[in-house]
Amino acid sequence: MYFDRRILRYFDWGLLGLCLAITLCGLLVLYSAGYDPDNAQKIFPFTPFRSNAAPFYRQGFFILVGLIMMLAGASIPSQWLYRFAYPLYAVCVVLLAAVLAVGVIAKGSQRWLSLGPISFQPSEMMKLAAILCMSRYLSRAVPPAGGYRITGLIVPCLIFGLPMVLIMAQPDLGTALAIGAVGFAMVLFMGVRWRTMLLMGGCAVAAFVPAWEFLLHDYQKRRVMVLFNPEADPLGSGYHIIQSTIAVGSGLLFGKGFMQGTQTQLEFLPEHTTDFIFSVLAEEWGFVGCIFVLLLYALLIFKLLRVVNKSKDLFLSLVVLGVTAQVFLNAAINVGMVVGMLPVVGIPLPLFSYGGTSLISTMFALGIVLGISTRRWTYLVR
Amino acid sequence: MGRSAAIDRPSFNLGRRVNAALVIAAVVLFTVALRLWYLQVLKGSYFRDRSENNRIRTVFIPPPRGVIFDRWGQPVVRNRPAFNIEFVSEDSPNPSESLKALGEILSLDPAELKERLNNQSKRRRFEPKILLKDVSRDVVAKVAAHNYQLPGVVINVVPARDYMYGTFASHILGYIREITRPQLENSEFQGRGYLYRQGDLVGQYGIESKWEADLQGKRGMRGVIVNANGVRIGEASFESEMPGNSVNLTIDYDVQKAADEALKDKKGAIVALDPKSGEVLAISSAPAFDPNLFAGEISAQDWARLVTGKEKVLNNRAVQGSFPPGSVFKIFMSVAALSEGVINTKERINCPGHFSMGSRVFRCHKKEGHGAVNLIQAIQQSCDVFFYTVGNRLGVDRIHDYATLFGLGQLSGLDLVTEAPGLVPSTAWKKAYFRKPEMQKWYPGETPSVSIGQGAVTLTPLQIARGLAAVVNGGTLFRPRLILGGESSAGKWRFADFNSEVPVRTGIDPEVLKVVREGMEAVVNIPGGTGKRAQLDPIFNVTVAGKTGTAQVIGADAVKGGDHQDDHAWFAGYAPAEDPEIVVVALYENGGHGGVASAPLSKAVMEAYFRKQCTVPGGKCRMIPPKEKEESKKDGTKT
Repeated sequence: MYFDRRILRYFDWGLLGLCLAITLCGLLVLYSAGYDPDNAQKIFPFTPFRSNAAPFYRQGFFILVGLIMMLAGASIPSQWLYRFAYPLYAVCVVLLAAVLAVGVIAKGSQRWLSLGPISFQPSEMMKLAAILCMSRYLSRAVPPAGGYRITGLIVPCLIFGLPMVLIMAQPDLGTALAIGAVGFAMVLFMGVRWRTMLLMGGCAVAAFVPAWEFLLHDYQKRRVMVLFNPEADPLGSGYHIIQSTIAVGSGLLFGKGFMQGTQTQLEFLPEHTTDFIFSVLAEEWGFVGCIFVLLLYALLIFKLLRVVNKSKDLFLSLVVLGVTAQVFLNAAINVGMVVGMLPVVGIPLPLFSYGGTSLISTMFALGIVLGISTRRWTYLVR
Repeated sequence: MGRSAAIDRPSFNLGRRVNAALVIAAVVLFTVALRLWYLQVLKGSYFRDRSENNRIRTVFIPPPRGVIFDRWGQPVVRNRPAFNIEFVSEDSPNPSESLKALGEILSLDPAELKERLNNQSKRRRFEPKILLKDVSRDVVAKVAAHNYQLPGVVINVVPARDYMYGTFASHILGYIREITRPQLENSEFQGRGYLYRQGDLVGQYGIESKWEADLQGKRGMRGVIVNANGVRIGEASFESEMPGNSVNLTIDYDVQKAADEALKDKKGAIVALDPKSGEVLAISSAPAFDPNLFAGEISAQDWARLVTGKEKVLNNRAVQGSFPPGSVFKIFMSVAALSEGVINTKERINCPGHFSMGSRVFRCHKKEGHGAVNLIQAIQQSCDVFFYTVGNRLGVDRIHDYATLFGLGQLSGLDLVTEAPGLVPSTAWKKAYFRKPEMQKWYPGETPSVSIGQGAVTLTPLQIARGLAAVVNGGTLFRPRLILGGESSAGKWRFADFNSEVPVRTGIDPEVLKVVREGMEAVVNIPGGTGKRAQLDPIFNVTVAGKTGTAQVIGADAVKGGDHQDDHAWFAGYAPAEDPEIVVVALYENGGHGGVASAPLSKAVMEAYFRKQCTVPGGKCRMIPPKEKEESKKDGTKT
């Protein structure tokens, strides 16, 4: 097989390094967050080894798998991305529909599809598929000067609207909104006329009231309302926000120290290995630790946007932009939630939170970007 | 193949768009950084505090309340261990199963037990919830025996207030009960250096209330490290509870007991004072109540009887009830008359059985009259006509002034409950009290009634006792008090060491007081006196003196033409007559004649006092030993 030596020469070590740095920071925080002094758990059901920090070892394993997936994503030829964008999207829509029909219920909503020993969330796959599908469509439908008009937005809205509706029905408001936000970011990147924007804004406001009344579940409404006054229900819907804010604030400048976070170690903080892992970071490593990790994310975003700029093909630029938007928005929403600026939605911190599915799918998506970045000499062959 | 069409479009500037995205991302991350700065640096110490409190939860240990002793150190209120059956949900794998088992063992309804648990849902998970309060030892034994069947059920020992002798001195001791909401929110109540919490038991009445700050003690605190599930995982701090300070009352257990028993099944009050110090030896008010009832869950029936009932059981009649004093008032009339010189010991006034003033006729209690009597005889026989005459000579204002001098119609200053002020009328009072001009004038025809302690005169038993004490101790008006001393962590203390209050000298000529005392001795000891039933048994070897009173009750019933109410029976006495150690005032409401109904009550109290004097350190025992008594009897039979 032919090996292009330019792959080594242009390989984006920086991007890979940043990804690894963030995951390793996450792994370190997870050791503390997932440490259970009372229980030594098996790391996997089939391994004999037990540890009090089982999540740490699991995540370590997931990072290895993620690295492999990243390289796998990087090695996908750009043409394939273009070619399989639509079919992949169709498959994902079918899988999402299947989840609704036969999915496994976990924590009150259906998100998982069980295929023998492996269960996975089609919604994770959908995130990537929707980006690819959107990129392909938008790259062939460049907006006129001044941006898209309302007619030009119908198809993009459908591309992202369909999975959103399916995911919201699980119900998984967080993921649905995250996907929608990525789609919106991509359309916005291409340019939308100001008048159209205002019109959409008006529609959003007009749609808000019926959506609030009929679409949102009670717990979702409470999570939004509680943002304004978490103390109104300190043990109920306000609990997450209060405990998380306490954890973050009590970290002060330099934190309480590794493994010393009382909010975490004493289980005041809910979901502290997954959605609220940033609170653990904030509690144990303080403001300095938070800024360090935020800077890593800023650098990552900066690098990703440079790849957007340098890609020779608009489709590839859009794919990278989509992945960038996904990573950035998820990170922003997650951290915003942890610091009490946004309502509690179940969105993990990309590359940082505990959980194989999220980590591996994010690394896979970044792997695709890595591939695009490395082959930045490529003009897409369609 | 080839570059996409878009790149060829001059309007599509990729770089500009990427820069815009970069700016947005930077702004968002900067905002988050600002928020982190706010939370972690600006408000960091606040959240650090909150996280500390989050981790450590405080479990309170109730302090044992201070013990209340009588003047000789005999405990009258103490704490006993009470057994509560409690439930820790966290320790039970199946709470409803445990409750069902407990219900079967104690033959209780498990649903009701569950209800009790639900009522305490505010309690944290590691805190036991109370299923049954203060259960008997039987129940404790049953639960202990079935322990293995009852995971989560625990027997907890807590201090409970024990009013050892039931209704004994209930109006002095008072009672404790859970702190009320107004008390919790009252800054004065809370501002005594101790922060009360909901559920604290505090004194609500009597000494328990007045000395709450001393008796309460300080709750202990256990800092329990818990996780968010409320599961206890360790202990961070421990602060031992501090028992309340004990208090010694001036009351004498035996005297108080005698007073309580004397009033059993009656309505009335008895006050016993030490005339040389104003120390209260006993205050009894009947009907009494059992303070133990208030500590637990009080039944609606008891509540109605005690608190809202017509009998006003919680009313301390000795202090809060004002009654017409009747002839007891003549003690003070005599002092006034002699001091003002409107009469001397020799002058005789003829009593034909009635006294005319203008068109009005005032009757003497003895229809046929006492004949010509001097002051001593008038006191001895309680001649009304004599005092009508003397009162007329004095005029109402001088009567009022002398009564005031002896604290009558005045607050005594006893630090126990809100006192009734009582009333001794005067021209000034009438002017201030009534609105119509014709009502404001004092008519001379009103004075005779006042002279015999009727009319508008109302006094509390305590006022009479205090006034009488001043008459018999040489003219010193003490402020009655109930506290002898106490003991705190700093050591024992005596009230007298702190008391800087100088008793009021009435300035009455001792010779005057001597004459009045002579009259009171005659009441009890000279045949024809009204109070001979107040005499003690000869073995006590003590001479009693005093004054009877029989006060007409002009109650609402009589005015409305309802049932006639019997007179209030009074006896105000002291002993020993030559050197008084105890003053006793007994009121038997609707008891009839003072000499018949109330004098025996006084006798019982005084006998208890003098019997006690033979057993206490420093007591002056006058009792004739039984052996000698037998001998004297023998001698008697021989002659």
